[in-house]
Amino acid sequence: MNYAYLMFGCFFLLMFGGVPIAAALGLSGTLAIALAQLGIMAVPTNVYAGIAKYPLLAIPMFVLAGAIFDKAGVAGRLLRFTEAIVGRGRGALAAITILVAMIIGGISGSGPACTAAVGGVMLNAMLRAGYPPGFAASVTAAAGSTDILIPPSVAFIVYSVLVPSATVPALFVGGIIPGLLACVMLIIPAVFLSRHYNFGGSESGEPRPKFWGSFKDAAWALAAPVLILGGLRTGWFTPTEAAVMAVVFGLFVGFAIYRSLTLRALFELLVESAETSAVILVVVGLASVFAWACSTLGIVDPIAEGLVNLGGGHPLGVMFILMVFLVIVGMFLDGISIFLIFCPLFVPVAQTFEWDLVWFGVLMTYNVALGQFTPPMAVNLMVSCRMSGAKMEDTVRWDIWLLFFMFLGLLLMIFFPEIVLWLPEATGFM
Amino acid sequence: MEGEPSSDASRPKTRIPLQIEEYLAGIAIGILGLITFANVVVRYLTNFSFAFTEEFSIFLMVFMALVGGSSVMAKQGHLNIRYLVDKLPTRARQGTLIVATMLTALTFLLLAVFGTRMAWDEYRFEVTSPGLGLPTWIYTMWLPFLSLAIFGRAVGVLIRMWRRQG
Repeated sequence: MNYAYLMFGCFFLLMFGGVPIAAALGLSGTLAIALAQLGIMAVPTNVYAGIAKYPLLAIPMFVLAGAIFDKAGVAGRLLRFTEAIVGRGRGALAAITILVAMIIGGISGSGPACTAAVGGVMLNAMLRAGYPPGFAASVTAAAGSTDILIPPSVAFIVYSVLVPSATVPALFVGGIIPGLLACVMLIIPAVFLSRHYNFGGSESGEPRPKFWGSFKDAAWALAAPVLILGGLRTGWFTPTEAAVMAVVFGLFVGFAIYRSLTLRALFELLVESAETSAVILVVVGLASVFAWACSTLGIVDPIAEGLVNLGGGHPLGVMFILMVFLVIVGMFLDGISIFLIFCPLFVPVAQTFEWDLVWFGVLMTYNVALGQFTPPMAVNLMVSCRMSGAKMEDTVRWDIWLLFFMFLGLLLMIFFPEIVLWLPEATGFM
Repeated sequence: MEGEPSSDASRPKTRIPLQIEEYLAGIAIGILGLITFANVVVRYLTNFSFAFTEEFSIFLMVFMALVGGSSVMAKQGHLNIRYLVDKLPTRARQGTLIVATMLTALTFLLLAVFGTRMAWDEYRFEVTSPGLGLPTWIYTMWLPFLSLAIFGRAVGVLIRMWRRQG
């Protein structure tokens, strides 16, 4: 047990000292393994085996698909299409930002990437229409966070690798309604605040884009999520294969339909996607050293037991503790690291109470999504602040409302698990 | 999922061209896509499955992760928490970041050392892979080799930090 304290202490010290999370996990895990004499060769074996898993192959492919659609110019076309439906006026652009993020979430699998893709188009549009930068940045960051709930989602793929009984298709489908719920919960305060402070009121006079023209243009992007989910539902594709089909479809749209891609741009996309995936996979590899040390030191059961006792053995009490804890770590850590470190500890707790593991995975992901735009350490908010020139401090007064409403969505899901479980059950994924 | 899109602003001048790792990682992800796509097409057109290439795809992914991890290291793009460090006064911050980078370099140096032993053991005991029947050391030897590359890139970051300070 002493080695466990040492390992966690060392990890937190390194992490807050600015050591990359992957190295902090690897080094503290290695230290514990060496001191407890668990067999040092577990270090390289776990790093290699941690990355070398077939299901993880879906991650680089979905990252690539998202990058291709982004570069092909999907966001701008979706903006015009949603504008044709929603119209203009107070708060319209804020609502559009969230809707565009939702659709892009159906193609890309990563929150910050989605924030960047949406922000590239929407931030300028909002700033031009007179929205304050702090508000625009908050809405964009919050909108981008729904990406990890809406399939495809890298977070779900990692969760499924850690909890094999929750399959990727079940999680993907289970995330759809919570993703939509999150969007609704964000649109409510975004529109309300805009109306109250009269944001974007000046542009009501401008004409709307034509519906059919913009729909024809956007239809290609709208088809991608259908292709991915349809392919999974019919059993044509595994998640990895569905991701590759999305890549091929994206290339077709980018080269043949929109004609916005060039071979040179494609190669840059390959490099960029490989690097983004590398960052994720290196964390996955080194976190397996940490996770292996955790389970071999035998601290998983005592911690799980402690958590159950801490909540007085009452399921709701324990759930509340876990969720509060996840929101707090979510402020500091990214979703992948949270899953890799805490799934081994929390899943036994979930099993004690016989919670459905798909439901639990979606709840955890929803928490991570909240953490992605909770200041001061929010990945999405950092991206959108950098792009809009807003200061993090200026976002707080707007961001807090978005957080509050999205948190209400979490409560709904805890009290009504059907929100998550109904769709996968109805469509036969569970 | 996390990992911000890298920007050109963070691209440092390095003595060993960064393009080596960037191109290798880009080519690896490209081949990965091609193999997986070919697999789907062939499976639907014929009854033939070359799923046994899975082993190679997985290796390519490990290769891509480590080689990409190396170029990202030079760009200091690995996920880290700078929030507290950035609150420190300038000198303390620079010192902390130098120590942090040293520890990062140490992590990958250790990985290179132990990884060499792992690959060497697999070579000695002639371990073969279940899918293609190849000796496994031709896969695993890349872990120590590329960990060493990441270590080198971390040392490069240290040198650049040192120069900027001095």
